[in-house]
Amino acid sequence: MTKGRKYLVATDVGGTCTDTIVFASGEPVRLGKALSTPPDFATGVLDSIRSAATSMGLTLEALLAQTSLFMHGSTVVDNAVLTRDGSRTGLLTTEGFEDTVLVTRGAYGRWGGLTEDRIKHPVKTDRAPALVDAARIMGVAERVDYKGAVLRELEEAQVERAVRHLIDRHRVDAIAVSFLWSFYNPVNEQKVKALINRIAPDVYCTLSSDIAPVPGEYERSSTVVINAYAGRITRAYLSSLETLLAGTGYDGPVLVMQGYGGLLPAHEAADRAIGMLECGPAAGVIGSRALGQLLDQPDVIATDMGGTTFKVSVIQGGTIEYAREPMVDRFHYTQPKIEVVSIGSGGGSIVTLEPGSNAPRVGPRSAGSRPGPVCYGLGGDEPTLTDVFMLIGYMDPEIFLGGSMRLDRERARQVFEQKIARPLGLSVETAAIGVYRVAAAQITDLIRQITVERGLDPRDFVLHAFGGSCGMVAGMFGAELNVRRMVVPYTASVNCAFGLISADIVHEYATTALLPVPSPAEAVNRLFAPMVEKARAQLAQEGFTGDRVRLEGAVDLRYSRQVHEVTTPLRGSVPLDDAALAGVVADFEALYERKYGKGSAYREAGMEMTQFRLTARGLMERPEIEAEATGGADAAGARVGRRPIFVDAEDGMVPSDIYDFEKLRPGNVVAGPAVIHTPITTIVLQAGQRGTLDGYRNVIIDFA
Amino acid sequence: MARRRFSDTLVLADGKICCGACERPLAAADRSWKEQAALTVVPVASLPGAGLGTDSRIVLRRFACSGCGSLLETEVALPEDPFLEDRIVVAG
Amino acid sequence: MDPITFSIIRHRLFRVVEEAVMTLKHVSGSAITNEGHDLMVSLYRADGSLLMGGVGFLHHLTSAAEACKAIIRRFDGQIHEGDLFLLNDPYTAALHTSDIYLIAPIHYEGRLVAWSACFVHVFDIGAMNPGGFAPDAVDIFTEGFSSPGLKLIDRGEMRQDVWDTILNMVRGPEMVALDLRSMIACNNVAGERLIALFEKYGAETVDHACRMLIEQSEQRLRERLRELPDGQWQSRQYLEVKGETYRVVLTMRKQGDELVFDFTGSSPQSKYSVNCSKWASLGGLFAPLFPLLCYDITWNEGVIRPVRMIAPEGSIVNCARPAPVSVATVGAIQSVNNAACATIGKMLAASERYAEESTAVWHANHFAIFMFGTNQRGGLSIGILTETFAGAGGARHVGDGVDIGGEIPNPISRMANVETIEATFPVRYLFRRRLKDSGGPGRHRGGTGGEMMIVAHDAPDGGIDYVVSGKGTKFPQSDGLAGGYPGALNDYVWIHADESDATAFAGSLADMKGRHEPISWGVYPLRGKDGLYVRWNGGGGLGDPLDRPAEQVVNDVTAGAISTRAAEEVYGVAFKDGVLDATLTETRRRDLKARRLQEVA
Repeated sequence: MTKGRKYLVATDVGGTCTDTIVFASGEPVRLGKALSTPPDFATGVLDSIRSAATSMGLTLEALLAQTSLFMHGSTVVDNAVLTRDGSRTGLLTTEGFEDTVLVTRGAYGRWGGLTEDRIKHPVKTDRAPALVDAARIMGVAERVDYKGAVLRELEEAQVERAVRHLIDRHRVDAIAVSFLWSFYNPVNEQKVKALINRIAPDVYCTLSSDIAPVPGEYERSSTVVINAYAGRITRAYLSSLETLLAGTGYDGPVLVMQGYGGLLPAHEAADRAIGMLECGPAAGVIGSRALGQLLDQPDVIATDMGGTTFKVSVIQGGTIEYAREPMVDRFHYTQPKIEVVSIGSGGGSIVTLEPGSNAPRVGPRSAGSRPGPVCYGLGGDEPTLTDVFMLIGYMDPEIFLGGSMRLDRERARQVFEQKIARPLGLSVETAAIGVYRVAAAQITDLIRQITVERGLDPRDFVLHAFGGSCGMVAGMFGAELNVRRMVVPYTASVNCAFGLISADIVHEYATTALLPVPSPAEAVNRLFAPMVEKARAQLAQEGFTGDRVRLEGAVDLRYSRQVHEVTTPLRGSVPLDDAALAGVVADFEALYERKYGKGSAYREAGMEMTQFRLTARGLMERPEIEAEATGGADAAGARVGRRPIFVDAEDGMVPSDIYDFEKLRPGNVVAGPAVIHTPITTIVLQAGQRGTLDGYRNVIIDFA
Repeated sequence: MARRRFSDTLVLADGKICCGACERPLAAADRSWKEQAALTVVPVASLPGAGLGTDSRIVLRRFACSGCGSLLETEVALPEDPFLEDRIVVAG
Repeated sequence: MDPITFSIIRHRLFRVVEEAVMTLKHVSGSAITNEGHDLMVSLYRADGSLLMGGVGFLHHLTSAAEACKAIIRRFDGQIHEGDLFLLNDPYTAALHTSDIYLIAPIHYEGRLVAWSACFVHVFDIGAMNPGGFAPDAVDIFTEGFSSPGLKLIDRGEMRQDVWDTILNMVRGPEMVALDLRSMIACNNVAGERLIALFEKYGAETVDHACRMLIEQSEQRLRERLRELPDGQWQSRQYLEVKGETYRVVLTMRKQGDELVFDFTGSSPQSKYSVNCSKWASLGGLFAPLFPLLCYDITWNEGVIRPVRMIAPEGSIVNCARPAPVSVATVGAIQSVNNAACATIGKMLAASERYAEESTAVWHANHFAIFMFGTNQRGGLSIGILTETFAGAGGARHVGDGVDIGGEIPNPISRMANVETIEATFPVRYLFRRRLKDSGGPGRHRGGTGGEMMIVAHDAPDGGIDYVVSGKGTKFPQSDGLAGGYPGALNDYVWIHADESDATAFAGSLADMKGRHEPISWGVYPLRGKDGLYVRWNGGGGLGDPLDRPAEQVVNDVTAGAISTRAAEEVYGVAFKDGVLDATLTETRRRDLKARRLQEVA
């Protein structure tokens, strides 16, 4: 690390807030927060860093002058797609297959990404309008077959006519290219790129064989279209951010988070916009894994409850699952991307009664931050989960967000009584407790689904609770899921930024080829060799050599007659010998059964290897987080009051102790039922739960 | 009697089925309005998009308002088959 | 029961079904189950009545209920904890033999408290033709293995003799075994999760919630029916097999809070396997009814109660044993789907409040094309062309139909990628795209269907064979609504290639030199340079095409959804030098309207 530059700074741009975390050896972790500023997100980034600097008694410039690395995650690509603010995009396809991306494999693009409630109402469902107009899609004569053999040579003159038509007639400034089977043989796509670079160097050109070299022309085409659509915006954004930072005196690298949970240098990230999709939540999972490593917890269910959604992801043995069919704004894409499942259940979720049955429902509509919950007093007149939290005693109107905002309890009570309690024929407290139970049960169901679905038992996991609202519900669903223990991390509100700082430089490579099992190890090594060479060169160029380089191989396998592929990590390093390859096959069989259930494998038809993946990590050097010394268990010094709160075991409101997080000392133990208020969130301990403040200021919750 | 919907294109008013566009009465509520509509018949095989195998006898019956010419309903039929009849029971 | 506990139990039941569906897809791993979503999982009460229907092929929800009831009758006194039953006889409850039901009783504290049931379309059932759809079948005896109910697992013990017998009668027994295993796993998951629910809340509470759930669905549908006008609505579907024409005629009557579907007037049963049994017809009318009328109501027994069906015995919608029925799901059942969708659409359109829910008929003509033969790796491949699951949306009151947008009775289907098919079968696609002029014209246009062509490629045997069945190509079936035109028709063409022709990359059917033979029923080869061309129907249109805003018609032309000819002749839009001429369009539309009055038949 550069001398005199002791800080690592990480900033994550989310939908509402831009969070910063500052790290240095031997100093406490510092946090910064500011509002996000779309579409010019860079302003919010500087505001957020400035907020952290201020809390350290520094100016923005002074902080950045002492900073060695800047890590960054941003919703800029998600935002470009969501707001339809991307390039005028053209698409070249194999002739005869022009409609592939428009027709989304049939209804898949109509129901994909919808909740079951909406799927059951097909008359009111539509496909999202495509990012590329039908008129800007042109087929060109060319064809490669399933073995990668070129059946039809590209006619350059025809391609040139098509490109000129797109540019002259349709004024496109980005062109995506997606040909059938290009992932086996990209020669025709590459010829098109060379041609476009020659005749129209200003046009942003991107190939499906570069961006998503995997089988499945619909998903591959959709991916490359998104990449073309958001490419320019992303490039411009990252370059303006670099310029702004340089203007404040920062001259270190800018590292950008990818959806697969690794960092890339900004100039590389700029060439693959698609990689930044959902990188914030991905960083959150990386943060959770890092925390898990620090606390010796390899198996973690990471949950995050903010204003509009509840998100959950699973880390098993330190390994993170990738999403099978990722989507952005109802567009499918195919990229390695960390799986984060969400439901529309957050603090701002609106509570309604179902007509006819009066059954309470939470979400998926949200009051957002404006007008927000009724108790915010900003004009909201629909009761939300946050209002419910207050009515059951979990929030203190006087000290919300460290006292920066006063809440209107009376108004929340009136509205809730009128819209929910009275129609149910219940008292306000009883009805609020009921709604709270419904919300907790829905979350329990979701977590149970995504764990058992993969053959995992929640009882083997530690639960991490992130986000402003999670600490108020985790005590309920954590108990019902019977998790081993729960952690409300000190960095709960800036978890994504924490993840940025915990991440490494990661490059993902993949090669598609169909190899039967068994195949000689030599055949597999031949596929890995060029990827390894490329990876080492790339990392060396970024300054990573020797033991700071880690290469991890994996092979996708499937049973020949079945559709599910399982990515199976290699145990050793490449090149493999035959025994090691046999070990991979055995691992695949075990993984398959664990994931898809006993008896699910049809071995008689044989097995195939379909995809060869290499993950190349450049390991970052970062300071160790130091634990504070822990003291006695007695938390009496932090007790600040007593008020009735809902206690599940008693099925009612019970007077309980209230604690101030700021006054707790490492080692202190709080016994539930109790509430701990932190400046940014609230932690509720149910009866029988014990919360201990550890040396990192995390609250560790154990069950009696 | 109040005006109410009979279909997307027809309304019931004063006990009669009327064109929704020009309000022309076509038939009493309990009678077949199709008998009173302007009917044109086109072979399906002659329509744009007809397939290779299209039956030569199958037709598209187009029922239009005999006043304003608005298309009120269509039905696919072999010539020998009767009109499809929809009724709405008017209370009282 | 308090609404809160009710809400929690309901959500949990719903999740039980979801999780069981996931298990089914995981374990099966087959393309038809995973891509086509040709499956169903539901929960039933102890008496076999539908408790919670999942999203899948919806005509199975009621049939599987009947299957549970048939098992209860047949095995009275011999239903034990850990049992599993199989039923696939269409004259008892099933739709056709290849859609096997596996049904499991769920016991809690020794008492029968519920059932779970599921189906997948199994790899093969031993019928005349591979894959289950058997155009060559002459009666039910030639349609493969069929059972009115047997016990496959007895108190947790697999009856190996029965298992082996079934697998002894099918092509690709290992694949069928996998299908069956996936259904066993699915029922196990459903059972375990349901028992956990009983353990947490107690039998009485859960039972009470289930009863409430059904009562509520009934109340809510009855309430909705009362809001809709009383009346009758008619529709008619034509289908054709080998030159024979059949009709499915429906009069739907609604009075107060009850709905009657009367199929009197439908054709007598066919000698071909397009027929369906009465349980299949009942399922067929409920498949669109659930999503069109009960989109916000839990799909269960309560929805079934206000509805009655009249289906004449010996007709194509209630055939008598031993009539063949293996093509039913793409035959008469789908005609029932379409007929019911048309009448429900018209009833909704007659209501001020519900007009916005109305729709023309979606993708009305499924085709079952099963390819079979030796693949490029020397193994056996059998599989359906999944383009049939791609569908086409009908025009709706709220907007155009979705191009290649699926269907109503199977809300979450999809088609496989071309690359997936080319990797599995020794074929090569020449094109696959939207089909111009296939969406029914209207103020709101029906969604387009599609077209595709394949030739053999790298086939060790020089090619493969395929079985074609369905409802023929003679009649449009995706009816329009309120003046909208029907969607265009299907076509299947065997191109006997001119071997001297060097064209390997025909861009359209017309480009393919040789004799074009329209086909629609039977087994055909795909060899040498021969091609198979398939086009599938679009959705019906809604409203007068002359009322479609001219700019939208122009957009449709630009986007390749309609031809200039259709724009001019059907939509009355005029172009000058390729650009919209608004004045001329107005004149032409006036003329076309006037002509409707002059050319009266």
